[in-house]
Amino acid sequence: MAAIAIVTARALLGRRRTILMLLLAGAPILLGLLIRLSGRGARPANLEPTLEGLLVSTILPLVALVFGTAALGSELDDGTAIHILTKPIARWVIVVPKLVVAGGLTAAMLVVSTILSGILLGGTASHEIAVIVAFAVAIAIGSFVYVAIFLALGAATSRGLVIGLGYALLWEGLLAGALPGTQLLSVREYIRGIISALAPAGTLTSVVGAQGFVAAVLALVVITALASLRLAAYEVRASE
Amino acid sequence: MTVTVTVRPTATEGPISAATAPTAQPIVLDRVSRWYGNVVAVNDISFGVGAGITGLLGPNGAGKSTLLHMLAGLLRPSAGQVLIEGRPAWRDPTIYRRIGLVPEREAVHGFLTGRQFVELAARLQRLAGPAAAAAVALDTVDLAPAADRPVGTYSKGMRQRVKIAAALVHDPSILLLDEPFNGMDPRQRLHMMDLLRTMAGEGRTILFSSHILEEVERLADGILVIYAGRLAASGDYREIRRLMTDRPNTFRIRSSDDRRLAAAFMTEPAVFGTELGDDRLTVRASEFSGFTRIVARVARDAGVRLLEVAPTDDSLESVFAYLVSRR
Repeated sequence: MAAIAIVTARALLGRRRTILMLLLAGAPILLGLLIRLSGRGARPANLEPTLEGLLVSTILPLVALVFGTAALGSELDDGTAIHILTKPIARWVIVVPKLVVAGGLTAAMLVVSTILSGILLGGTASHEIAVIVAFAVAIAIGSFVYVAIFLALGAATSRGLVIGLGYALLWEGLLAGALPGTQLLSVREYIRGIISALAPAGTLTSVVGAQGFVAAVLALVVITALASLRLAAYEVRASE
Repeated sequence: MTVTVTVRPTATEGPISAATAPTAQPIVLDRVSRWYGNVVAVNDISFGVGAGITGLLGPNGAGKSTLLHMLAGLLRPSAGQVLIEGRPAWRDPTIYRRIGLVPEREAVHGFLTGRQFVELAARLQRLAGPAAAAAVALDTVDLAPAADRPVGTYSKGMRQRVKIAAALVHDPSILLLDEPFNGMDPRQRLHMMDLLRTMAGEGRTILFSSHILEEVERLADGILVIYAGRLAASGDYREIRRLMTDRPNTFRIRSSDDRRLAAAFMTEPAVFGTELGDDRLTVRASEFSGFTRIVARVARDAGVRLLEVAPTDDSLESVFAYLVSRR
């Protein structure tokens, strides 16, 4: 698994993609810096809406989408994955290291961004630090769930990037927030549930609450298994 | 080195029965079809391939890659069975212990060096000494001097060879190669042919696809001709060569006296018919080589000087179409 993980990491950290993702993940830090440089101090009231609206709802799904589809779907489409597929190894042995690397990269970028932008926006009072830590933990877990979804999409279709973008914008962005029932099948809601369980009381309200943690882990396991099954039945695309 | 290529003589017969099934052969296709929606890419093909080199010959789009992908477990047959050493190839990663696949597409991560790429294959094959196995494989394809350069800097021929090294690293008994000579210069081509002959000499089963008759003829002991998804011909290459050349053919002839020559040809049994044009004579002959043997004699006996004799329909495409029409 280590060999697949190393190659995946090197492929994902291509120069252009890394710079773009660092810029995207770093946008909240830039925002915090601008606010501080403009002479205003920390505004704890801004902390939660910014972390939730910017990092959880927008930047996390996008970074996970880029790394998740690049880790498997792009390699299947450009043919480089053939050299890994034609080896006598179980398909989950291919999926898991890719999940660990792409999920880890997404989590690392997003957690650093959460902590730095959180401190710039909210200051270092103990209440704010507790909120920031809750967000960081939830975002780290959410990174892996999102990446698992985009890996599975990449294994299932050559249009993983487009379908993934549609899912992130329409399902997670619009529907899951608006319709009560859909929240039970929303990664964003699981993340909000974990935050509401970890952060000081009154930070966020969530339909799933502390069960968001269980739901996220369950989703991670089920989706990784589905991605492995899909890969086991993978058929080369664009044949003659 | 012996090669047996077993094919049902006609498509109307039943599937290979247990008694006649060539189970000893490492590669067996039994009534295999593959379609994409309404498009049939491979149409009811059965054959078995034994040790030695077998060429899969056919024009582009004939279904060669689809067949190879099914053999490599990367495509599900829509009907029929693809067996590798007696086991279905589809959804069984353990076949990759015995198979080495060299895909047509060049795609290899450009940042890996040749050595890293082949070592990755060795590690994924769970070989005991991946570095040593990779070194041997790189040496086999004559790539040792460039092994520590990134694959991104390789020429097309070198990429082809590094893919072959990766496919060979676990010493597979079956090697599948999709258009292995594409992009190689003549020297590399010769080297690759020698390499494949050596590996076949060691008892391996090697199946390679090509759309170039000459490549197949020079290398393969047995040939499978695929055209429009069907098996057009199979067997020894000499036999297929004869079928390809000894087919009805049309020749365009210019001479000092077309009319007299036409009359002379009409007495020859090998000639079906003649047609006089403005400045040429068109002759339909029953077979290619038979006609080429008599044309000079007939002209001499008639006292006519030949200015030009040219076959009008000699494209490989038309040869394949003819072979399919015979079956």
